[in-house]
Amino acid sequence: MARHDDGVVTVGRSRIGTVFANTGGILFGLVMIFPVYWVLNTAFKPDAEVRSFTPTFWPENPTLDNFRSALGEQHFLPSMVNGLVITAMAVAAALVVGFLAALAIARFAFYGRKAIILVVLAVQLVPFLALLIPLFLMLQGVNLTNTLVGVALVYLVLLLPYTVWTLRGFISGIPRELDEAAMIDGCTRAQVFWRIILPLTGPGLVATSVYGFIQAWNEFIIINTLNDPNHQNLMAWLLYNQTERGTAWGPLMAGAIITSIPVVVFFLIIQRNIATGLTAGAVKG
Amino acid sequence: MQAVDSRPVQAPAPLKTADRSGARRKRDTRTAWLLSLPTLIILIGMLGYPLYRMIVLSFQNMRLRELFSGATPPWAGVDQYAKALTDDVFWGIVARTAAFTVVSVTLSVTAGLGIALLMRRVHAKVRIFMMVAMMFVWALPQLVAAQAFRWLTDSDFGVLNYLFSKVFGDEWLNHSWFVNPWEGWAVITTLVVWAGIPFLAISLSAGLTQVPKELVEAATVDGASSWQTLRNITLPILKPLLTIVTTLSVIWNFGLFTQNWALRDSHPEPVYQTLATYSYTQAFGRSLYSYGSAISVITVLLMLGVMVFYIRQMFKIGEVD
Repeated sequence: MARHDDGVVTVGRSRIGTVFANTGGILFGLVMIFPVYWVLNTAFKPDAEVRSFTPTFWPENPTLDNFRSALGEQHFLPSMVNGLVITAMAVAAALVVGFLAALAIARFAFYGRKAIILVVLAVQLVPFLALLIPLFLMLQGVNLTNTLVGVALVYLVLLLPYTVWTLRGFISGIPRELDEAAMIDGCTRAQVFWRIILPLTGPGLVATSVYGFIQAWNEFIIINTLNDPNHQNLMAWLLYNQTERGTAWGPLMAGAIITSIPVVVFFLIIQRNIATGLTAGAVKG
Repeated sequence: MQAVDSRPVQAPAPLKTADRSGARRKRDTRTAWLLSLPTLIILIGMLGYPLYRMIVLSFQNMRLRELFSGATPPWAGVDQYAKALTDDVFWGIVARTAAFTVVSVTLSVTAGLGIALLMRRVHAKVRIFMMVAMMFVWALPQLVAAQAFRWLTDSDFGVLNYLFSKVFGDEWLNHSWFVNPWEGWAVITTLVVWAGIPFLAISLSAGLTQVPKELVEAATVDGASSWQTLRNITLPILKPLLTIVTTLSVIWNFGLFTQNWALRDSHPEPVYQTLATYSYTQAFGRSLYSYGSAISVITVLLMLGVMVFYIRQMFKIGEVD
């Protein structure tokens, strides 16, 4: 019976157990990070080192050629701009629309509230790709395929349930007494909203929009299906690059890094909120 | 608290607790619905209606001709469903998707729990290192993670073959990982588990901090072994959270698309198809839109039980007040 793998910190642990645990922890971290490291390592290697039967574990002649090659690819820049435009539209719309619904759920007691919560929770679970066929036909019917707006609309639906749900949590976190105090002092409901709820939800709005950004930025199947190569985002560009230049590993990995940077940076900033957003209720405190 | 509230929905008290007249409540309901309206319209229009269209489509026979002409596809009754349900290929894919889900969820939840427990035993610096490593993995876009694994397992220059050849011998040089489906699926499963561990380990480790120390100490004083403490104290307290993260993992992994799609260069061979990729390939690869829809409908139906369970669980633990 292993003594070192139980979960609780108590007094009087064996030293050997601690050494085992620490070694295991370090090994685990190394194994986890290795694929990430290998992407970085490859991206900075010249082609000769990438296509070597005895791979080196660091770039011996570091170069930026792979990045130049990826950035110079003809669809790179348009795809990046498209991705930013689509993401901005979807996130902004989801934030405005979602905030209103979140306000209703968090601050009003009304008939039908539970039903709305149920809908918001349920649609988060619908496998969205399953709806791609009818969505494609619908958008084609109104000539919105091969447009940025069409994709942004689909992304809006993708982001909306999560946005409502997370903002609801942030608004509920604002003590109701603040609202009441303001109203006793003569504020109207609208004033309470503008002067208390909105400013105090600021961090929540940032976290939610960053999460929305990540979701929209990482999506590539929907946009790949709805749009032609001239209306793709960076993630779809990456997939396209994979099929086109399947074995140019250096530029591929460089492209993967460029595509990931905004997401990774944003993610690391708001990671706390993501973890709690998904499981909030189960962890009290 | 205020006097007993007789409203049917027991939820946040209205803003002005002093004033609870019927008129006020009516106005609240109207305002709340007005605020929710945009969200509801979008969800109905872009989610509810497509869902309805998908179901209708699955009873028709829509091909490329109808797509271009805009004509109403001919009615097909239950033909699409009959076709799927009598097709061994389809059942093979159902079985494969289910088996993958069971294996990958079991592995990742067990590993996540193990790591969460391990994190309580290690030195603070080691714990930070583990957290940082997991954060980077978690932050990585799915497609990029898949690309990374595609490169690691490349038959010519992949580092995995290099390492295997050093350890197990030269027959691993130029080894193709996707010729044998068991090996290919092992790669895909590893990728999914690797990418899934951070969410699981970090959530569960947050959950572990909620286990009261006094209980554990009392058990230890009473002579409980580490294993008994884990089984009888830690796990029961962790159970609601464990249930939620397991359910989420089931929902996510059952819908596997990105990983097998990217690792098989956007053209998964039959043996690498899952329900999600199969439906997609039928619809957009072969223009069998109705058949693809029928498969999607079946997929959603198969998931329904898990989804209902998840929502009930959310209500039960009081997340939804």
